[in-house]
Amino acid sequence: MSDTTPQLPPGPDAPVTSPAIGRDEWVARHLDRRLPPRLGILHERLQNVPWFAWLVLFVAAASLLPAITSSGYVRRVGFDTVLYMLLALGLNVVVGWGGLLDLGYVAFYGVGAYSYALLDSPHYDIHMWSILSIPLVVLIGAIVGLLVGLPSRRLSGDYLAIVTLFFLQLFQTVATNGDQMFGHNVTGGANGLLNVDPLDIFGHDIAVQHEGVFAVAYYFIALGVFAVVFVALRFVNESRTGRAWRSQREDPLAAEVMGMPVNWLKLTAFAFGAAVAALSGSLFAALNASVFPLTFYFVLLITVYTMVILGGQGSQAGVVLGAIIISVLLELLREPSHARDLFYVLLGAGLLLTFKLSRRLAIVAAATVAFGFAAHAIADAIDHSWVAGTAGAWASGWVIVPERLASWVAPVSYVALIAAALGLTLVRGLLRTVLLVPVLYLATFVWENVMLAKPEPTRYIVLGVILVALMIVRPNGLLGEKRVEVV
Amino acid sequence: MSLLELRKVTLSFGGLRSVSELDLVVKEGEIVSLIGPNGAGKTTVFNLITGVYRPDDGEILLDGRNIAGLAPHRINELGVARTFQTLRLFLNMTVKENVMAAAYARTRAGPFRAMLRTPGMRREEREIERLAQERLAFFGERLMGYRWNQPAYSLSYANRRRLEIARATATRPRILLLDEPAAGMNPAETHEITELISRLRKEGGYTILVIEHDMHCVEGCSDRVVALDHGVKIAEGPFEKVATDPKVVEAYLGLGGTARK
Amino acid sequence: MDTDKFIQLTLDGLTLGSVYALIALGYTLVYGVLKLLNFAHGDVFMVGSYIGFGVLQALGGPADPAVPVWAVLVLITLAAMAGCAMLGVVIERFAYRPLRDAPRIAPLISALGVSFFLAYSMQLLFGAQQRDYNTFALGGGDLYFKGFHIGGVRVPLIRDIIIVSAFVLMLVLWFLVNKTRTGKAMRATSFDREAAAMMGIDIDRVIVFTFILGSALAGAAGVLFAIRVPTQVSIGFVSGLKGFTAAVIGGIGSVPGAMAGGLILGFAESYTAGYWPGSAGTRWTDLVIFSILIVFMVFRPQGLFGRADIKKV
Repeated sequence: MSDTTPQLPPGPDAPVTSPAIGRDEWVARHLDRRLPPRLGILHERLQNVPWFAWLVLFVAAASLLPAITSSGYVRRVGFDTVLYMLLALGLNVVVGWGGLLDLGYVAFYGVGAYSYALLDSPHYDIHMWSILSIPLVVLIGAIVGLLVGLPSRRLSGDYLAIVTLFFLQLFQTVATNGDQMFGHNVTGGANGLLNVDPLDIFGHDIAVQHEGVFAVAYYFIALGVFAVVFVALRFVNESRTGRAWRSQREDPLAAEVMGMPVNWLKLTAFAFGAAVAALSGSLFAALNASVFPLTFYFVLLITVYTMVILGGQGSQAGVVLGAIIISVLLELLREPSHARDLFYVLLGAGLLLTFKLSRRLAIVAAATVAFGFAAHAIADAIDHSWVAGTAGAWASGWVIVPERLASWVAPVSYVALIAAALGLTLVRGLLRTVLLVPVLYLATFVWENVMLAKPEPTRYIVLGVILVALMIVRPNGLLGEKRVEVV
Repeated sequence: MSLLELRKVTLSFGGLRSVSELDLVVKEGEIVSLIGPNGAGKTTVFNLITGVYRPDDGEILLDGRNIAGLAPHRINELGVARTFQTLRLFLNMTVKENVMAAAYARTRAGPFRAMLRTPGMRREEREIERLAQERLAFFGERLMGYRWNQPAYSLSYANRRRLEIARATATRPRILLLDEPAAGMNPAETHEITELISRLRKEGGYTILVIEHDMHCVEGCSDRVVALDHGVKIAEGPFEKVATDPKVVEAYLGLGGTARK
Repeated sequence: MDTDKFIQLTLDGLTLGSVYALIALGYTLVYGVLKLLNFAHGDVFMVGSYIGFGVLQALGGPADPAVPVWAVLVLITLAAMAGCAMLGVVIERFAYRPLRDAPRIAPLISALGVSFFLAYSMQLLFGAQQRDYNTFALGGGDLYFKGFHIGGVRVPLIRDIIIVSAFVLMLVLWFLVNKTRTGKAMRATSFDREAAAMMGIDIDRVIVFTFILGSALAGAAGVLFAIRVPTQVSIGFVSGLKGFTAAVIGGIGSVPGAMAGGLILGFAESYTAGYWPGSAGTRWTDLVIFSILIVFMVFRPQGLFGRADIKKV
């Protein structure tokens, strides 16, 4: 709209940057950036490694975690990460393969957790063996998935999103108020269900803790479940059902006319995703020995979505990778000292990615450092208390950390940073590189003073930014296929 | 022996009569062309036959059985397949997968057998793959070889049209509805499509109903031609008769035009 | 039949519904021109309530404001409307415009990210605790004690203000959309964006204008909500959810639909709370609303006033 000169289309020798209709990929690849010979051969060889080899390698590597560290905390994080990986796999079925925007997905996780809790706790005094209760929970999850899918099957993307999101809200309401359902205490209300049984092998409990520390058995169980689910889902995707799911994602009308019952396929996608989520929920409930409503709400939903989108929707390996990255990221951001270091590492990595190993990178880095020292010195000269606060050991001479923060500083600097960052996207070239330096410094100021103080909202702000940035810059995520869409 | 019969089929969109009391018969083994100016309702007829729209009135009989109102995937199962005027391929899936996907209705292995990879399911998968190769081989070498595993969007326009036909035949239909298969093609490619349509009948045994604008193609492949205008049948018969019919000429060229080969 | 109770509940419904209607209008306007469900809209509403709070404090607080009571209310509302309008414009420019031609799911996910970002940014800066406007203190409780009567029920001024303001805003909006050139451009864009562009309509300007309108209404709704009920950062999600449920029930893309949907939701909530057996009504309002939504999705997906979509194949 604002361009006045018509642009010529790119010529035949122009670099190929993205897939397009009619552009023969095999031929195009030869015009693409080419890898240097050794890397190219390596790349080719790696492409030929069968997927299950990667899976075996991954599981083997993951199994080494308890051997590498005896920290109960790290092992616990490992378990949580495996649960996230499971959730991501399940969501990948619905969103990645089925193309259905299911915003109620974590409600199925909750359904699984609560079902297991009801079947294996003092609440109704049922203590079903895990070998029976877990398949039952999976079945319940699938049925609930079908039920939610039923009114939604004829709905298009937007309406489906609303109905499923409302289902999430509904689950929350029912779980929170379920202690007064017509006089019956079904869900334990806001206080949840407690004393949930651990997993058991034919009645022999597998203790959740071993000598006061997270029991490694659970980590391995989760890993095993993950491997089985990964393989099972992969097999389904490479079969007629998977092809049909993906066909109706591409073009529901064409799929229908080619003999695929689209409504039924949507239901099965929903059911499979819900079943996987429910399975994860049972593991969650068993380990935590308790379930609370607030776990299964909007925050978790966005977290899982970020994992799937970051990794690449449609790619199982991708969503697993995304789950690991986000899970680790969230953990690191819990602790201010880790978060601080992480920030600088990511900043460095970001600069490296943007400028590659170039003179520009060196200039920007040097300029920022110099700018920082200068600003620090000036601030120190004006008023020593401005820089007297505690900062990370190696950054203390550089970043400005006042002793006390006036209440207006946080909101003003934060908003200023956002405005500056957004403004940067509007300018180009040299101006952008020059302005990057003060903005980077402002970012470190805001991070040190405003965001580190409150890790909880900071973690989720980071997620929100990742989501938005991903959709704009790389919607196919890390390992996802670049998709072509006729809009 | 009529394979497909439309009796007094009518469809309106709001106040607009799109198809008006249409009678159409296609006998088994025939190639019938449907012609008419844009907006005549030809694609609407295809949509009615394949179940995308439901007729307000009238019957659509496939082998004597009324299929009007059935779900489109059911109608496909009963033997009706089509291609689209604006291509509707599964662009991000590979060439092979596009065709294999269409075998859905003819196969039975569900997701549970797939998870377990039962021998029956694996046999069926091999069958489906063989079927896909066979359907694609129909077009010579163009859609074979390395193109097999390329995403459908990377094909050239003509190849995409061929792929869509291959996909339609993979549903093992009895009747093929081809919606402007020669659209956007140069004379050489059009000639090839014309031959292809005859080959489809000869080698595949399909009954074919074609919508086409290119009169060379229509002339070259049809047994019979049906002309529509504003949703009404205005002429029917062999090509020469319909092409010179004054009503048809008027519909295409307006009053005062003359038919030209 | 307890008429007083019924009147009270109807008033509750009207009060709630007016706020929902204002939120729903923002959704419906944006959906109309962009076919996008702006999930961040509920959080814009929440920011509006905070802006109102901030300005109220800046004016001296509810107990001792620097200007008369009516001026206070007008000022905080205008401030919220202006602030939210700017916020809406920024969101559109940076989170949605780059995705204008991307597949439909992309801006939706971006909207989710923005919603998250807004809610937690507010929590970072202002904390998660409730903020009470404490309008009771304004003018010594006048807003609550003064009012007029219907039957045996007293309608406090504060409710009148909410309801009347909401309706006035809706009227203004209706006028803008139906009687001005820009409104006509908006409606044209919502029918067919490309055709509108070819007719010489500046799509970017229309979209920005739409966001200004919608977000301003959300800001006003935020203030109208918070003058009665304390606000906190977490209300964005649920209010947004209810807002676009209302928009969908009324017929997304339709202005009278959003108003109707908002009122329906308000009444559904208040009557459920009032008439549900036992005293458990307030807990199950979500269930009732969800059921209404499902009924509409199954039997009339285009909503009350929406157009049934005819796809050309």
